[in-house]
Amino acid sequence: MFPLLLAAVYTHQFTRVILLPGFPAVDSFLDFVLPASLVQSVSFGATEAGTELARDIENGFFDRLRASPCMRLPLLLGRLGGAVVVAAVKGVLIIAIFLLFGAEIAGGPAAAVVLVVAAVLLVIAIGGLGQMLAIFTGSQEAVNATFPLVFTSIFMSSAFFPTNLMSGWFREVAEANPVTWIIDPVRRLILEGWSWADVGQALVVPLVISVATVTMAVVALNRKLSSS
Amino acid sequence: MSAVTVDHSTDLRFAGMVASAICGRGMRRIVARPTLIMPVLLMPLIFVVSFTGAFGSLTRVEGYGTDNVFNWMAVYAAMQGAVFAGVGGASTTAEDIENGFFDRLLLTPGSRVPILVGTMAYSALRSTIPTTGVLLVSALGGLRLPGGPLALVTVYVATAGMASAFCLLGLAVVYRFRTMRSMILIQVCGFSLMFLSTGQVPLHFMNGWLHTVARVNPVTNVLRFARQGFLGDLTWSMTWPGLVALGAMVAVAGSLAAHQLRRLAA
Repeated sequence: MFPLLLAAVYTHQFTRVILLPGFPAVDSFLDFVLPASLVQSVSFGATEAGTELARDIENGFFDRLRASPCMRLPLLLGRLGGAVVVAAVKGVLIIAIFLLFGAEIAGGPAAAVVLVVAAVLLVIAIGGLGQMLAIFTGSQEAVNATFPLVFTSIFMSSAFFPTNLMSGWFREVAEANPVTWIIDPVRRLILEGWSWADVGQALVVPLVISVATVTMAVVALNRKLSSS
Repeated sequence: MSAVTVDHSTDLRFAGMVASAICGRGMRRIVARPTLIMPVLLMPLIFVVSFTGAFGSLTRVEGYGTDNVFNWMAVYAAMQGAVFAGVGGASTTAEDIENGFFDRLLLTPGSRVPILVGTMAYSALRSTIPTTGVLLVSALGGLRLPGGPLALVTVYVATAGMASAFCLLGLAVVYRFRTMRSMILIQVCGFSLMFLSTGQVPLHFMNGWLHTVARVNPVTNVLRFARQGFLGDLTWSMTWPGLVALGAMVAVAGSLAAHQLRRLAA
């Protein structure tokens, strides 16, 4: 609900802002903020896979799972799978609500699918990070501490304002932020239309990050298993 | 006659002692476990850095009210911090209820009002930490005080008032549901009220339903009161509506909390 509230508020309070020179050509701030709401919505629940794993480690259930004669990798991937399904449903709902309130996706239905897939990949990336932390610390509190990190990453990106209208060190941070690298091509698909280059960037960036974080989680799990 | 007077003054002194002991206990917890205050301090700092960085070019839109984005956003971030501080104060009571300490507190003789006053005072005092943090970071970013030092007084009064109101509202919920998890209700309520106000842009920038909601939102009056010294001189016409809004929020939340506490103690 919070990302939707934020989108509704920003759409009605930034009506004059979209007229600023340098702001992308949009009919309404609603079109501009759609990718931000999508990313925000899926990201807030993305650490759940890590939190659940940490809870299982804390209460000893994970040790019982480890003792069972099964492969270790599905223990991680299974939880990520749950997060992926939730993120995909959230993504479809967010886009449907935005369309209902008048948002337009210039890239068409195919671009909407890219939006959802990019969001799902981002969830895997954040979920993998949460699982790695859960394995290293075994603490729900430590995994929950990633929430401010996710929150800050979104606000210190191009999610709510174009980076060309920012200035100073904040602009440099926003431009170097991987969230910006995901949001900018997704936004172009919404505002400008279909482009294979944008599709590539929108999918490859979160894919690379998710492969990296899930690999790190698997390595952490293997180390934990070999040390115990 | 004299005996009655002595009884009243003794009661008042006792009530004052209980309230200050509760307030002092909360502050000692922060000293003993400084990590408790970190989220309350960090979130408004993240807000002031994010909002001033991302929305800095708002000052280029005609009619924004200031050419320095810190002068607009610092007060808003401080108020967000105050809401967190207030909810955090009520969370301390939730923790006491969950671990049984509150039941022992209710066994003490005398009025229950000092329990409310003490927790509220703790929250108000706690709110000075994020407020100071936000003002210091904003000063580094270029915050100016066209209204002079009185501008700082209005911010501290407003944030202490907001922390008190949200602490009392939080207490009403905690006394009713008796769990820490129930605090999320007040957190969401506070967050939404802040976003549905003139936190980031002036009222005349808004349109549609948001304009209507922000106009009747009491937080808008509190923000106007707290922000005036950062946009120009302080005036009585900007001051009294803010003080009335704060007073009304504290009175309503206080009544709810007192009612729920009476039910809990019965």
